[in-house]
Amino acid sequence: MTSINTRAGHLAAVGRMGDLSRQLDTVQGQIARARRIDVPADDPVGFARAAVLRREQAAAAATQRGIDAGNRRLNATDTALESLGNLVQRARELALQGANGTQSSSDRATIALEIRELAAQARALAETTDSDGQRLFGGANAHGPAYATAADGSLVWQGGGSAPAVGIGSNSVASGSDGPAVFGITDAAADTRDLFATLTTLDTALATPDAALRQAGIDTTIGDLDGHIDRIANARGTTGARLSRLESESERLAKARLVTESDLSKLESLDMPEAIARMQRLLTVLEAAQASFVRISSLSLWDQLR
Amino acid sequence: MSDLLAIGAAGVRAMQAAMAQVGDNVANADTPGYVRRSLRLATGPSGASTPLTRDASGGVGVVSGAIIRSSDALAVNSARIAAGSHARHAARTDWLDRLQTVLTGSDLDSRLGGFFDAGSELAATPTSTAARAIFLDRTDQAASAFRDLGSGLANLSGNIADATDAATTRINAIASALGQVNIELRRTSEGGSAANGLLDSRDALLAELATEVRISVSEGPRGTAIVRIGSGGAGALLVSAEGNASRIGVQDIGNGPELLLDPTHAAIAVQLPANGSLAGLLEAARQIAATATAIDALASRFGTAINAWHTAGTDALGDPGGALLATRGLAIASGRANAGSASIDVRVSDDQLLSPGGYRLLRGASGWTLARTDGSASVTGPGDLLLDGVTVRPGNGARDGDTWSLDIASGAAGLGLRAIGPARLAVADRFISDAAASNSGDGAIALTPDASAAAFATPPPWRVTINAAGLAEVSDIATGTLLAAAPVDGTPIITNGVRFTITGTPAIGDSFRILATGPASNDNGNARALAGVRAAIGPGGALEASLDASTASVGSALSESRRLETTARAVKHDTARAADAVSAVDLDREAADMTRLQVAYRANAQLLAAAREMFDAMLAVLQ
Repeated sequence: MTSINTRAGHLAAVGRMGDLSRQLDTVQGQIARARRIDVPADDPVGFARAAVLRREQAAAAATQRGIDAGNRRLNATDTALESLGNLVQRARELALQGANGTQSSSDRATIALEIRELAAQARALAETTDSDGQRLFGGANAHGPAYATAADGSLVWQGGGSAPAVGIGSNSVASGSDGPAVFGITDAAADTRDLFATLTTLDTALATPDAALRQAGIDTTIGDLDGHIDRIANARGTTGARLSRLESESERLAKARLVTESDLSKLESLDMPEAIARMQRLLTVLEAAQASFVRISSLSLWDQLR
Repeated sequence: MSDLLAIGAAGVRAMQAAMAQVGDNVANADTPGYVRRSLRLATGPSGASTPLTRDASGGVGVVSGAIIRSSDALAVNSARIAAGSHARHAARTDWLDRLQTVLTGSDLDSRLGGFFDAGSELAATPTSTAARAIFLDRTDQAASAFRDLGSGLANLSGNIADATDAATTRINAIASALGQVNIELRRTSEGGSAANGLLDSRDALLAELATEVRISVSEGPRGTAIVRIGSGGAGALLVSAEGNASRIGVQDIGNGPELLLDPTHAAIAVQLPANGSLAGLLEAARQIAATATAIDALASRFGTAINAWHTAGTDALGDPGGALLATRGLAIASGRANAGSASIDVRVSDDQLLSPGGYRLLRGASGWTLARTDGSASVTGPGDLLLDGVTVRPGNGARDGDTWSLDIASGAAGLGLRAIGPARLAVADRFISDAAASNSGDGAIALTPDASAAAFATPPPWRVTINAAGLAEVSDIATGTLLAAAPVDGTPIITNGVRFTITGTPAIGDSFRILATGPASNDNGNARALAGVRAAIGPGGALEASLDASTASVGSALSESRRLETTARAVKHDTARAADAVSAVDLDREAADMTRLQVAYRANAQLLAAAREMFDAMLAVLQ
């Protein structure tokens, strides 16, 4: 049998009310932050899981920015390749016109003039840069010119390696095209010419006075130009495939972000109606405890002594 | 009739004394440790008749006996143990809470994540100076978060060691006070108010001692307390009935702090009783030490992994990457006897050359001397000193004879970003490769940097060509010299500084180039490799998972400790009330007692009045 009018009785009652106040403070803090977990001790397992999810979110955002950069580079490449494709198509038309025997030499000179113009344009396209000022067709060595003129007048690719890949988790997607894969290579043994050499050859052929030699020269370049058209179309196809790969990765990341967000909210966020109800209940209990404490502790036999 | 007078007088005296005791009780109703007292009343002795006295057949009334302390030793003991249990959990919760604050306050988790995410962004724009500067800043933040956490944990263990010292000092003071009380008790006769006062202070001291450390108490002659550490009679004796008190101390002997008996003379390690605030302090100190060890290990692992990663790449100037993080720093400590107040500025330019034993700085009559602790080298000068890449810049206000020690700080406290510029960030791989556009097979080449590979001396660029026999021929591009030929079977081909593998099925005549990465390369291979460092599994999982595990273990210890504290508080209050039901002053009861005694007093006074009336009647007869 314990009594209420002792020191320990008072202390115990005050201690119980202190417990209630602490619980109220916790619930109030949770409601104010709208979060169930604030420090590891609130829920150690949940806190660790939330840390993992938040990291995933941040990493996904960083990956997305990498994908955006890759997209910019691939889109710039695609635009350059489109211009280049049109240019080669035009060169082929001009070559066919030049092959026509009815053209006068002055007509052919006009055509040659346009071919030279196209060659200069192709040279400029080869040096296209992305938004960071890096050569699109230079591979990894993209800070300097992608092509340089050799002693014999031919153009030599200066690049090396490949453009920076977009890292997606442990995979990576290439984000650029090398010069040789777009412009072809000049190889005497295999009898191939890059685009610049083809255009130079066409220019020379158009100026050849002998009709048979001219015809043979123009025919060779038409064959070359067909090859270039194929190569550029392939390069555009590859670029498009990479773009769509990045697109689908982007979509995947967006979906994953939604899932992560909903997981995180399930894990961390507070069930507000439940918390408010709990706070209400605690308030009621605390008020009742205080009221009953005051009533009971004011009961004293001493008051009755007269 | 004179008997009646005597009886009445004795009754009045006894009731007065009992009332005085009630008053004493009420006055001490709120005194901690006061035990309710009551007066034992006894019937007066009825002596046999002698020739000189009459037989007092009715007795001689009441006599007041000893003053009784109403105390229940068992209930008091369980209250003491419950209070100790609560004190233990409260102390542990308090310190674990501080540990949690230090751990989460450093924000190491998000700064590590920010560092790795900055790596991803660097891979997206490898040549951007802004991205490089941001990456360096994030690296600095991650390193400084480690440093902050390291120093925060060091402070915390220092503080808890101080708190432990204070607790042992308190315990020793209480034990010696108890010894004094025992000596006094042996001199004092039982039952008197002096003895009762001593017993009250004995109980108060025991209660105070029990909140600090688990004790078991047995009662010796005349209420002396025999106190042992731990539970049961086999524990180490702390206070004897004769009043001898042993001292205790806490020392770290290898496996964290331990309790020692008689630390200054014949120290004996004592099993730590799991009760009392000292136990809570020692438990928390162990958790803090374990966390500090884990964080130091994590910091070393981070520093080693990041430096290995960075040295595998090539910076924007085309040079191999150097160490990104300094894994060791110097911590300055002033000598205890320093009379001056000079501040010392220390800079470490390169951590590779630091002497493992640290350094000593001395202010002498001839100037300043900076020396390796092992004495193998020293420099002396009037001002700035440079030794092993350590620059010491002494401030004003030093006195001759002042000393400072510069100790090697490793682990979390020693981690720092080395002073490197954005261009020195090794974002690109050491080597790059490409396939010839004319290749007709679907072979691909993969490079792995390998500093130990030295199959031939010629550095890249090389061309790898598949010859008619299906062998991969490595030749020098500049001279065309054949350097090596190896079968293409998926096994790594070892060259100079790099291994490579050709995968897929290359056609005969297909060729690949292997080039050294030049300056200002747009390659991001090494930046992408940072994702591999992040995911690498070490002790306790990946870097960040291992940090999470440390945080979770502190969090779970704290939440468990909080739950236990709440339970222990309830038990403490319950047992205290149970003990108080016997020994505490209940005001209602005192009021009732007083009413009763007042009535009895009045009755006794009436007796006196009746005796007087009887005398008066008798005297009237005689007149």
